[in-house]
Amino acid sequence: MLDFFTIFSKGGLVLWCFQGVRGPAAACTAPVNALIRSVLLQERGGNNSFNHEALTLKYKLDNQFELVFVVGFQKILTLTYVDKLIDDVHKEFRDKYRNEFQHKGALGLLNGTFDFKEDFLHLLREAEESSKIRAPTAMKTFEQSLKSQKTVKSMIETRGEKPKEKAKNKKNKGSKKEASGTEAATVPSKAASDAKQNPPAATGDREELTRDEILQKNREEFFKKRLKGGEKSNKSPKPETQKEKGKKPRVWELGNSNAKVLDYSNSTTNGNTDTCPTEEYDPDTALGDRDREPGRLYDLEYESDEEEPEEEKVIQNSSQPRAKKGGLGGMFGMLKGLVGSKSLTREDMDSVLEKMKDHLITKNVAAEIAVQLCESVAKKLEGKVMGTFTTVTSTVKQALQESLVQILQPQRRVDMLRDVMDAQRHRRPYVVTFCGVNGVGKSTNLAKISFWLIENGFSVLIAACDTFRAGAVEQLRTHTRRLNALHPPESHGGRTMVQLYEKGYGKDAAGIAMEAISYARNQGFDVVLVDTAGRMQDNAPLMTALAKLIAVNTPDLVLFVGEALVGNEAVDQLVKFNKALADHSMAQTPRLIDGIVLTKFDTIDDKVGAAISMTYITSKPIVFVGTGQTYCDLRSLNAKAVVTALMKA
Amino acid sequence: MAPEGDQRSGLQPYLESLRRELQVSDSILLSVLLALLAVALTLLVWKLIWGRKSSRRTVLLVGLCDSGKTLLFVRLLTGTYRNTQTSITDSSAVYRVSNDKGSSVTLIDLPGHESLRLQFLEKFKAAARAIVFVVDSVAFQREVKDVAEFLYQVLTDCTVLKNTLPLLIACNKQDITMAKSAKLIQQQLEKELNTLRVTRSAAPSILDGSTSSGTAQLGKKGKEFDFSQLPMKVELVECSARGSKAEEGSADIEDLEKWLARIA
Repeated sequence: MLDFFTIFSKGGLVLWCFQGVRGPAAACTAPVNALIRSVLLQERGGNNSFNHEALTLKYKLDNQFELVFVVGFQKILTLTYVDKLIDDVHKEFRDKYRNEFQHKGALGLLNGTFDFKEDFLHLLREAEESSKIRAPTAMKTFEQSLKSQKTVKSMIETRGEKPKEKAKNKKNKGSKKEASGTEAATVPSKAASDAKQNPPAATGDREELTRDEILQKNREEFFKKRLKGGEKSNKSPKPETQKEKGKKPRVWELGNSNAKVLDYSNSTTNGNTDTCPTEEYDPDTALGDRDREPGRLYDLEYESDEEEPEEEKVIQNSSQPRAKKGGLGGMFGMLKGLVGSKSLTREDMDSVLEKMKDHLITKNVAAEIAVQLCESVAKKLEGKVMGTFTTVTSTVKQALQESLVQILQPQRRVDMLRDVMDAQRHRRPYVVTFCGVNGVGKSTNLAKISFWLIENGFSVLIAACDTFRAGAVEQLRTHTRRLNALHPPESHGGRTMVQLYEKGYGKDAAGIAMEAISYARNQGFDVVLVDTAGRMQDNAPLMTALAKLIAVNTPDLVLFVGEALVGNEAVDQLVKFNKALADHSMAQTPRLIDGIVLTKFDTIDDKVGAAISMTYITSKPIVFVGTGQTYCDLRSLNAKAVVTALMKA
Repeated sequence: MAPEGDQRSGLQPYLESLRRELQVSDSILLSVLLALLAVALTLLVWKLIWGRKSSRRTVLLVGLCDSGKTLLFVRLLTGTYRNTQTSITDSSAVYRVSNDKGSSVTLIDLPGHESLRLQFLEKFKAAARAIVFVVDSVAFQREVKDVAEFLYQVLTDCTVLKNTLPLLIACNKQDITMAKSAKLIQQQLEKELNTLRVTRSAAPSILDGSTSSGTAQLGKKGKEFDFSQLPMKVELVECSARGSKAEEGSADIEDLEKWLARIA
């Protein structure tokens, strides 16, 4: 039932391939490449299955020998034996070709022949059979069941005895007890009567007599419970009777005394020096530091750096006595742990990964993304052989650092100037749309980007499509005026570098955008920057309006503006924005967010986790970073610096 | 004469005392001197070995995703054809060059995926002796901007510039009829790099703007960019890792092997 099964090395060589139902070998490379690109390289290795078109792909990594095992089957099938099959194949393959992997490295892989077909078919057959063996258990036949042993008469409940029992059991609250009670009461009476009436019939039914014993026991229990219940019911009427006897007036003990008796305060000691004796006053302890200047206010002393080595010393001290306690064996065990090849297990990594996850969360990475990242790193490291003198912590930290850098690397080219030049050559304006929630800095960063573009000699048209917020158009007009003052037309060959296209407030944003683009095309502007109103991701009509603007005008670049202060919200914002854009687009491939502008980066010291959250969710690059409110505060992202800041303790 | 005599006489008693010291308390002083000598010798030997190790003997295979680096790697080492997938890590092996000296270089095949390529380049560029930049000649027209950007990053890398590593641009997949020739690829790349010089240096400065390694000027200012303007040797060859008959036939990589023989 499998479509294919491939085993390949992480370096890219296909070691062995099995074509189940599929055609030639080339047909299985495309889905596997898609798996590698979207799962392994984007650190989404948490769950081990991936859907690509009509196939489901399940994979397993062998980190010790750097192999990947992938199996593909149709999505509509639900095969239960696939996980077990992969594990078995993994073990078998590894044991069989251990030599090639261990000693010769890449040449071993190249020169070795991996004739695995028979073993694989054998394992496949085993797996298929094991999934069939567990057939549903056969139902018991009527003769085998207990019900056939009972006589029909024993199951009949007559009406006569039931009401008596019910009157006795009225006070019992539990209905189950009642039911079991009635049954237990009636059936033994029935059984007893039956036993008296037809002993010969009863002897034949051995099970009824044994049931009778059981029923006797139940009856005893039931009566016990009834007695308890009876006691409770007896208690409840008592307090009621007591209350009803009479209402006595309440008597306050001190009620008739006058105010003087009730005054417990001491006589006033204001100004009376004898009543409060002078304390033993020690000026040293009261004043503290004798050397301080009188009247000066000192700063708070900052001791952060001194605290850390103390913590480390504490940890070392606590670990040393532990080592000593373990004795010689323990010490050698510790040494053994440092030197030599030890493969990582899940348990070793768990505690370290927990700490790393918490550390990431304190650095403002969204919680679910920190979890997924740690899962993916665990998958990548499981079974890996550590080198000498490397601890688990250092290996995990190294791997986490690498995956963070990997996430922050842009998956596509990030060079806006080049694309603008391209559009210039085709005589059409390059359209950039800014979207985001309220108050993240869209208009400010739009002004910064237009300044940057003007510095590079491109003329900019700003389209004021924020027709809702009061002062939005005026804000952009002020920016335009300032930019024109900084770059007057005289210094650029007589053409105005920045112009504002606005139609006031209350109009349809998509229409204004369309008019702005055609105006730019006519006037020969190089870039059109479209500013939209800020909107919450949950606001459905506004999201529809934004999606319409983007779908109708098909901008070259859709930039999502997000602030670096955002925490777990980033995930929600991006997911919902993308979803809205995808839902309302008519095209085959909907226009999604193409890039991210990370603003207010100067307000966070090293809690730079928002960058990770945003790039992880969308897998789109961070195009610009805003670090202030002046025109020069525009930067591009440095992945290494961000990761260093993230991993810094 | 007199001052010299004084100097000699100044030195003489010192030497005499040293000799006497050595003869008398031979154990302590002698052992200390011997120990120092031994340490110095080991340091020397270690430096030689380390120097040998860090001498650059690797050739890096870089390029975009799906340009054929792993298959080229396989062909160079074994001459056979293998199916390949997108590489996630590097693969390295020793390759015996076919020249008179019979020297060998270590071939390292780096992954081409965007999120990995720079990381691996950073790791391996220090020990590199030469770089082979593999280009997919069929998809070149579509990918010219990405190819040029990666090539720009390789050319302006500080280590590459410092060591002036020779660069070979291997135009792969020539077995397909739609493949562009090496000449055309060279012209297009030069034009693209010319534009990139301007745009990359005008990009907003890097956050944490410490090292500006990417702003090294490529070629001569004012003139159109040309590969001959670069400090390192850049050549272009055509090759086909797949060969005309894929599994059965051999690959068309003679030019590549000759170049490797030359730089080894």
